[in-house]
Amino acid sequence: MEILRNMWRRKFRTFLTIFGIVIGIFAFTVMGSMALKLNKMISGGKKYVTGQITVSPKGSSYDSTGGTLPLDTINKIAKVDGVQNVAAMVSLLVTDPDPDNASVSMGQSPTIYGADNSSDFKNRNWETMDMREGKMLDKNSTDDEIVVGINIATDQKLHTGDTYKIRGRDFKVVGVVAKTMTGPDSYVFMNIKPARELLIASNPFMKSLNDSGKLKTEDVNSSVAVAWKDGADSEKVAAAIKDQFGKDVTVMSPVKMGELIDKASATFNAIILGSAMLALIVGLFSIVNTMVMSISERTKEIGIKKAIGASPSSIAWEYTLEAGFIGLVGGAIGMGLGVLAATLVNNKMAAKGAEIFLIQTNFLLGVIIFSFIVGIIAGVIPAIRASRLKVVEAIREL
Amino acid sequence: MNKIVVEAKGIEKTYKMSKTNIVKALCGVNIEVREGDFSAIIGPSGCGKSTLMHILGLLDRPDAGTLEIDGIDMTKLPEKKAFRMRAKKIGFIFQGFNLIPTLTALENVVLAGRYGGMKKSVRINQAKELLKMLGLGDRMNHKPSELSGGQQQRVAIARALMNDPAIILADEPTGELDSKTSMEIMDILKKLNRNENKTFLIVTHNMEVAQACKKIIKLRDGKNA
Repeated sequence: MEILRNMWRRKFRTFLTIFGIVIGIFAFTVMGSMALKLNKMISGGKKYVTGQITVSPKGSSYDSTGGTLPLDTINKIAKVDGVQNVAAMVSLLVTDPDPDNASVSMGQSPTIYGADNSSDFKNRNWETMDMREGKMLDKNSTDDEIVVGINIATDQKLHTGDTYKIRGRDFKVVGVVAKTMTGPDSYVFMNIKPARELLIASNPFMKSLNDSGKLKTEDVNSSVAVAWKDGADSEKVAAAIKDQFGKDVTVMSPVKMGELIDKASATFNAIILGSAMLALIVGLFSIVNTMVMSISERTKEIGIKKAIGASPSSIAWEYTLEAGFIGLVGGAIGMGLGVLAATLVNNKMAAKGAEIFLIQTNFLLGVIIFSFIVGIIAGVIPAIRASRLKVVEAIREL
Repeated sequence: MNKIVVEAKGIEKTYKMSKTNIVKALCGVNIEVREGDFSAIIGPSGCGKSTLMHILGLLDRPDAGTLEIDGIDMTKLPEKKAFRMRAKKIGFIFQGFNLIPTLTALENVVLAGRYGGMKKSVRINQAKELLKMLGLGDRMNHKPSELSGGQQQRVAIARALMNDPAIILADEPTGELDSKTSMEIMDILKKLNRNENKTFLIVTHNMEVAQACKKIIKLRDGKNA
């Protein structure tokens, strides 16, 4: 109670100090939620890529449409020692990006994921997907059936049984995947054949080759997922594929990809959290400054308290707690504003499947505790100074 | 003969203001206060009254001499334990009341009990009793700024009594009060001495206050006069 009254004595100064912490914690909450979302997406991606060996045409990057993998090569890969089975896939954006309205998005853009559902291939880490409604595509699925991720379903207000027009072609929604917080939320799953056709139609060069018979439709594959046999070493299988086809393809082995992803996410986290920490350090010094000022103003009071028997530790504790409380109040407000901002942005972006923040209760609880600790740390040195004040010197100010 | 509460022998204190300016505040002062005493320390300005009070109140340390309070040798007391002795053995009444401005009258008194190690419920009840005894039963929840000078000094007296100290040191307790209120405060102190056997040592240069005391200790140029 006394702490609150002391804070209230210099309202404007307390407000400014708290404001400093608010900015720091706001930045920390927003950046932290962004890092959480990215980590969640990355871990989803990691789970996927480490559950299979992904082979893509040389010159293309993962999930891109930079090249094609001929069916003949895929069939040869299936015969490599240690390979259990393979599944070709085609990916392309649901809509072509508008060059006049270019925007940078941190989320996954709506993507068509055409898979060879006739294959027995299964990703070791991601065998099935939880469904919100309907069912996932299987061997019996027809070429006009699709399953959509939750972001697409929300944006387009799609439910099982609805028709969704993609690149001028009607598809029937047979299922909606439950929220995964990662890539598949923005996927449209379909059989590989219509995906190939859409990809060819989207690319005038491919279309002319296809029309002239120089490019067979079944040779249009963005990548191939390879499953290794039980007991086989995924890295050895990946190396074997690389040995034989390395000239034409890029092989992403599960272990190497996992390591690459970990390294990238660690760097990214360090950049995001580092910038937030910088804002927080500024806030921390504003508390130190306020506490030093406050203590010099209250020298007389400290003298009185010591004269009537206050121990140095009780004086130190009192001021440390006051600083901690400033941190806590600033932290609570900053966190509240951070959550508000993140929620507003998320709501606006959700329709585009580009939610960029993940708000987690544990993280928010950590932020609150952290802001209190920041206050305590900021208060320690001024508080120790207060506790060491010579009573007689303080009394002389009476 | 009542037991000795404070016994100071050969107390010396020198302040080095600068390399050339050395002030000898106390030069071998002896003082003895017995239980139930109502004594005044008087002397002209700069004679060392306040320095002596700071030393007797364990707020400062003498350069030489011995000091015993309630039979405990305070000169050998480590700094870390001085605050506890201050809380339990000594009560302070200051000239400018010196209450904590953000706390109510009751909270100011309770604070002394907290530092004295009293249990929360006990200290709140006792603080209320003391404030009632001093006629502040209806002003307990007021802050110092809402109280008159006399009322503030009564809160300070209650605070000084809180831990039932061996001695209450009062530094010009009526210095900032008008003559009528001064007499009221002195009456309260005398009553506490007479009825509760509280021991007082009052530093003053007010002869009226000094004459109200049973014993007068005179200081001049840092020595017993």
